[in-house]
Amino acid sequence: MKKYTQNLRLIFCLINSIVLLSSCEKVIDLELKNADPLIVIEGTVSNQSENHFVRISKTIPFHQSASFKGVKGAQVTLKSSAGLSVSFTEVTEGIYRSPRLRGTPGLTYTLDVLVEGKTYSAKSTMPSPVIPDSIGFKTLSFFGNSNIYPTVYYNDPPKIQNQYRYILRVNGKLQGDLVFEDRFNDGNTVSDVIIYDGDDDIKSGDIVDIEMQSIDRNVFKYFFALSQIGGNGGPPVAPANPESNFSNRALGIFNACTKSTKSVVLK
Amino acid sequence: MPFSKNVLLFGFLLFFCSFSVNAQDNYTINGLVKDSLSGETLIGVTLKFTATSQSGTSTNAYGFYSYKLIPGEYTLSVSYIGYRSINRKVSINSDLRLDLNMVPDNILEEIVISSEKRNDNIVNAQMGVAKINLSEIRNVPVLFGERDVLKTLQLLPGIKSAGEGNSGFYVRGGSTDQNLILLDEAPVYNASHLLGFFSTFNSDAIKDVSVFKGGMPAQYGGRLSSVLDIRMNDGNKKEFTAEGGIGLISSRLKVEGPLIKDKSSFMISGRRTYADAFLALSKDSSINKNTLYFYDLNAKVNYQIDDKNTLYLSGYFGRDELGLSETFGFDWGNATSTLRWNHLFSNRLFSNTSLIYSNYNYVIENFLEENNFRVNSSIRDMNLKQDFQLALNNSHNIRFGLDLIHHTIAPGNITASATSSVNEVTIEKRKGNEIAAYISDEWEVNDKFNLVYGLRASSFYLFGPGVFPTYDKNGITTSSKAYTSGQLVKSYFNLEPRISASYQLNEFSSLKSSYTRNTQNLHLMSNSTASSPTDLYIMSSNNVKPEIADQIALGYFRNFNNDNYEFSTELYFKQMQNQIDYRSGTDLRGNTNVESELLFGGGRAFGIELFLKKRFGKLNGWVGYTLSKTERKFNDIDLGKWFNAKQDRTHDLSLVGIYKATERWTFSSTFVFNTGNAVTFPAGKYQLNNKTVYYYPERNSDRMPNYHRLDLSATLEGKPGRKLQSSWSFGIYNLYNRKNAYSIDFRDDLDNPTRTQAVRTTLFGIIPSITWNFKF
Repeated sequence: MKKYTQNLRLIFCLINSIVLLSSCEKVIDLELKNADPLIVIEGTVSNQSENHFVRISKTIPFHQSASFKGVKGAQVTLKSSAGLSVSFTEVTEGIYRSPRLRGTPGLTYTLDVLVEGKTYSAKSTMPSPVIPDSIGFKTLSFFGNSNIYPTVYYNDPPKIQNQYRYILRVNGKLQGDLVFEDRFNDGNTVSDVIIYDGDDDIKSGDIVDIEMQSIDRNVFKYFFALSQIGGNGGPPVAPANPESNFSNRALGIFNACTKSTKSVVLK
Repeated sequence: MPFSKNVLLFGFLLFFCSFSVNAQDNYTINGLVKDSLSGETLIGVTLKFTATSQSGTSTNAYGFYSYKLIPGEYTLSVSYIGYRSINRKVSINSDLRLDLNMVPDNILEEIVISSEKRNDNIVNAQMGVAKINLSEIRNVPVLFGERDVLKTLQLLPGIKSAGEGNSGFYVRGGSTDQNLILLDEAPVYNASHLLGFFSTFNSDAIKDVSVFKGGMPAQYGGRLSSVLDIRMNDGNKKEFTAEGGIGLISSRLKVEGPLIKDKSSFMISGRRTYADAFLALSKDSSINKNTLYFYDLNAKVNYQIDDKNTLYLSGYFGRDELGLSETFGFDWGNATSTLRWNHLFSNRLFSNTSLIYSNYNYVIENFLEENNFRVNSSIRDMNLKQDFQLALNNSHNIRFGLDLIHHTIAPGNITASATSSVNEVTIEKRKGNEIAAYISDEWEVNDKFNLVYGLRASSFYLFGPGVFPTYDKNGITTSSKAYTSGQLVKSYFNLEPRISASYQLNEFSSLKSSYTRNTQNLHLMSNSTASSPTDLYIMSSNNVKPEIADQIALGYFRNFNNDNYEFSTELYFKQMQNQIDYRSGTDLRGNTNVESELLFGGGRAFGIELFLKKRFGKLNGWVGYTLSKTERKFNDIDLGKWFNAKQDRTHDLSLVGIYKATERWTFSSTFVFNTGNAVTFPAGKYQLNNKTVYYYPERNSDRMPNYHRLDLSATLEGKPGRKLQSSWSFGIYNLYNRKNAYSIDFRDDLDNPTRTQAVRTTLFGIIPSITWNFKF
């Protein structure tokens, strides 16, 4: 529904360009403020037996080439409500790895990061896993653009508030990262259409990987707020930084999730 | 606020003191003022009675006037823009009913040489009011050649457009939902078509437009910022006429005429756009199968039973339809109807009783088989208004009445087929009553001093049935209570003092001042940067307090050159309580706990407005300029610091010129300039799961680029004297093709994903338009 409303204003561009052959989008030079660099933490722990990663970086000016500006020398500790406590080791600058471990659904995890003399702490509760049944494809057209979108089929557990995150990769390249909730389809057989915003269209022969995560409410709200700012839903909301679950005003998110990945080839 | 209490007390004192002087042997003159050709009653006509000194009154919304005079000989001067003035002798030696017919003046007066003063704007105590002349609306250039009341209004100081081509508007720092928009007294909840590019008001059907941006008279209430009072044509009482137009994107037709000559008439006016015709030009089937259009229907009948009783029935129905191939349908619209009864209890006591119905709803349908659903949402009002106008004596005009509104809001009703994955959900309806009583007195204290003062007592009651949760300041439910049907959940009571005074320095200049308090119990939920037809209204409740605004204004008014030039400046300061904003990541759609997502804070706005108008002559028009500041403050946004409201615009300038070159050619031009909206741009960026995410500094601390635009239009009238009168209107919107920014978005550079770029979207470049209008 979001993508539809987003396209409404483009209708006018469209009329405009049909009538006057003028384009409505242009890249412009814009002077922007430069905020002092701020700490960004992105941490994930999942129900898979694997190494889990925490990425610590700093914000960079808008016009600077995007490179991950890692912050080294942090102490990263993961604790669980069942008494687990592990330390992460730095692999490369700003990237920290846990020992191989499997997270347990239902437990609350706490991530503590001590960096540059400050401690940032976040909590996230790992939801029960929900596994996709199958992946299908749908062709949808929005004002002249006909596209193929993957669709994830699954059974939503009844009477529980569930939130999902999908990470879509096509031929190994990230094309979409979006969140859904079961507010309108609790307990049903659900088909979530992954209306991704990546640049590449899915074609016949492409390998499509979808990672489905069950995420907690705060993590959902974080990613949902991000998508709203992007104008990814109707008229964009007044942009603001999404509410992080980290203390001490760090940016980023700590996500204790369950995940499973399905891979299909579009025929 | 102790200040408002003092004002209140002062008001009461005035009220009781002012009637002590009472001349008993006065007679009343009253009657209706009408257009001599169509028999339409005229609103706001000035009547001046001159014997030794001059005093006067004006016609009300139904063309009625009533005035008390001591016996004697008077010269009565009747004047109204666009009509020939009437000057005649009247002898008052008994009560007199005098109906007047005014002859329209098709040719704008070349030079004003008139004995009577046209200085109402100086004398009248009312401030913060603007009237739009329909001939101005006809001549001012507009987008796609669609004449539009709301867009012409935005050219006045203090009234700002909510965005490119947008019919939404901001008045003195208020948001769009703080404007009360009335069409024949019925509130119109969504006054725009096609996502805001056109207003719902078809100017063919409109007789009179006034907007109050401050100093609100006591008979109006329920919104903080402004009242836009639009009155429809009654219908020609003398003969049948039809008029219409064929334009680039729409066509219109109006038919009116007498049902019983001089007693009863009707008017019906319709309009339909065909914007989707452009889509059909496309060869692409996924484009040309879409629909996108709107239509409007205005209708009115009136019946003058006798000299003392008149009935009016009017209605509006408008709808937008949007369909995307076979996947998605979306339609929305308003329906209003008003039944009015004008009754003269005596020659001095005028009464109007109105029964009003207003409904706004939208329907969204998704036709995808596994996810199909239909959402229906509505807001509905039933309203009874009783208004009395009493010409007490020649220095007091009293107005008092009652206003009862029953609101029903159905936030959302989701239905789906059995095969759909979407569950059927109904969000509980909410019911509330607004009950207000008001009294005001327009008092000519002496030759120099005029006063309008009054009080509006407004109460609001929220009723069950339903479950009403209470939230703490973090939005967490602390308790929840079920109420039965009709059980009171929460009530609020507010006193709203209104006072406005003018002091005439001399016959061409005056000082005015006003204080008003307004409250609002309906709140529009919209966290986006643009308005959407799906924006939802909620009522005040156990969690949401009424919004309150206090406004103080000071003005200087001066006419030059025989009242040919009118200049005014107004300074205002407004303070707002219980303003609403939203938590981060709030999804307002289909949200059963909307109230848990709200933040409450304060607002303040101040500014100075300058207005210079040339009223008559071959060349007329105006310049309006506003310098202003509008801020909001919320504890949970930027640590409670004041930030710029999105409608904050430092400078706002409009120039309007209308030049009647010959009998047949009229040229007009408008130029607008305003500071870009307050927005938040990124001040940095970071990576999250390999995607670029922007860091935003303080709310609305950046600016969109300045907006400016020049429009031209030309109207060629057909040769006079023919049965079929026709005219051509040519227009050019955005003459120098300024690429004004509608939005600025940020994204990764498509060619070099390591870089980010700012992308400006422009909606309208230079757009020509042509319309053919006819009348017979």
